[in-house]
Amino acid sequence: MAAGGSGGGGALGEACRHHRQLAACGSRAKYREGRRPRAVKVYTINLESRYLLIQGVPALGVMKELVEQFALYGAIEEYHALDEYPSEPFTEVYLIKFQNLQCARVAKKKMDERSFFGSLLHVCYAPEFETVQETREKLQDRRKYIAKATNQRDCLLWKKIEGPRKTSSDCHYSTSGSYAASHWDPSCFPHSHRVSQNAEYPSGSHSQSPLAFPQCDNHSAETSGNFGQRTPPGGCAPPVALIQQRTVPADNGADRFMPRTTHLQERKRKREEGNKSALAGANVDSTDIMIGPQLPEIPKVDMDDDSLNTSATLIRNKLKEVAESVSCTSVEKPGSSAAKPLVKQRRRI
Amino acid sequence: MELGRLEYLQALVTEFQVTDSAEAKEQVLANLANFAYDPKNYGYLRQLQVPDLFLDMLSEDNETLVEFAMGGLCNLCLDKSNKDYILEASGVEPIINCLSSSNEETVMSAVTTLMYLTTPQSCQQTTPLPVVECMLRFSLSASRRLSNLATVFLEDYCTPLQVEEAKNLSKHTAVGIPLPKD
Repeated sequence: MAAGGSGGGGALGEACRHHRQLAACGSRAKYREGRRPRAVKVYTINLESRYLLIQGVPALGVMKELVEQFALYGAIEEYHALDEYPSEPFTEVYLIKFQNLQCARVAKKKMDERSFFGSLLHVCYAPEFETVQETREKLQDRRKYIAKATNQRDCLLWKKIEGPRKTSSDCHYSTSGSYAASHWDPSCFPHSHRVSQNAEYPSGSHSQSPLAFPQCDNHSAETSGNFGQRTPPGGCAPPVALIQQRTVPADNGADRFMPRTTHLQERKRKREEGNKSALAGANVDSTDIMIGPQLPEIPKVDMDDDSLNTSATLIRNKLKEVAESVSCTSVEKPGSSAAKPLVKQRRRI
Repeated sequence: MELGRLEYLQALVTEFQVTDSAEAKEQVLANLANFAYDPKNYGYLRQLQVPDLFLDMLSEDNETLVEFAMGGLCNLCLDKSNKDYILEASGVEPIINCLSSSNEETVMSAVTTLMYLTTPQSCQQTTPLPVVECMLRFSLSASRRLSNLATVFLEDYCTPLQVEEAKNLSKHTAVGIPLPKD
């Protein structure tokens, strides 16, 4: 991105330097090795964004599937195909804008390097698509988050002392104590001449109407302050519900460990139970004529995170609602032409 | 290998200080800078004087070390104690110097850090005229990220008077802090 000189199309049309995938680092000392090979890179709030750029999407007309995949991680505000963006042959590049940063974070983490219709996706943040206002809000949100996180120290400290693992970390918690983390007083500075700029997207990318998915749980941003870092033991601050879940088995000592096979069996049993009840429910409720076997339910994916799971169920329910209302209207419209299903029914026999 | 968080960070700092390998130094510094993103680590990082370590690295010749250190400062400077520490350790000057780096990431981190360090008390330090003038030019940059950031800086952290003054200044002098290269 030539910052000087060429004042042309700017960063939008061309590939940005920070999107180039760096080679993974192979020379880390053992204790610094993560679970996945990663490049040496420092993330700051400037590099993060609600906008995700998805490269390497096979050109098979799978936009719908792609957006559905990403919508699992949170509400999507907009999505575009970037026709002008340089891409590998037979692949497309998409831009997805999430409603909040935390969802984009999780989506990036889960979808990067994921195989999608036989091709590996490369997902990266695309802050160069932000408007000035969006950049401003992103920086403000980080400010709020830090203010909240550093204020919450006190109550975290309490929980830690009660817990079994009392470390030497107490002393500095008290030094960082209870301050109102941001003494920044914006009223001292002029805010009146703010211009909210709503820049257009580059031509050549055809835009879609925004998806109306339910809101992603806002609290996920606060509770899972994990940001892709490995979290060494002892410091993690799970939400209260999780603490309770975790401490109960911990009291039983030896029961804490559950073999993988048992775990899988348990999960299978739960799934079967769920399916059974779903089938039963459908049979009781439906007064419509059944034609052919019932479609299998959309498999419920466990995303290892409470708030993610709740938003996923929210999305699923909403989708179901929308689908049902559509099918209702389409059935009602033809109205008198009830002969059609009858014909089909006969064919089935 | 079961290390607590503090012990782990301590091991990183020790390796950083002991190692002769430039590569390992970069990796460890990147590690520390990424840990500085998470407020849970702030107490430990202060205890290990990592903010000082970051500030020290700003005067290195190795551009990568400067980029990572600046990123680390950008990540931890919002916390009140860290902010006070950086301001008292006269960290603002080396951060302002980073505005003339040829590395865009370094410049971006420096701009954001200056915003986050700005308080009614510190604004004299963080928004002197040359910085405002520099932001004026950044706001015209072809890089959307940089121009957005500079625009926020000018609109939210400078007074209209300051901006006006800087505009007059740049009319008379052609030289200033150069824009970052690709």
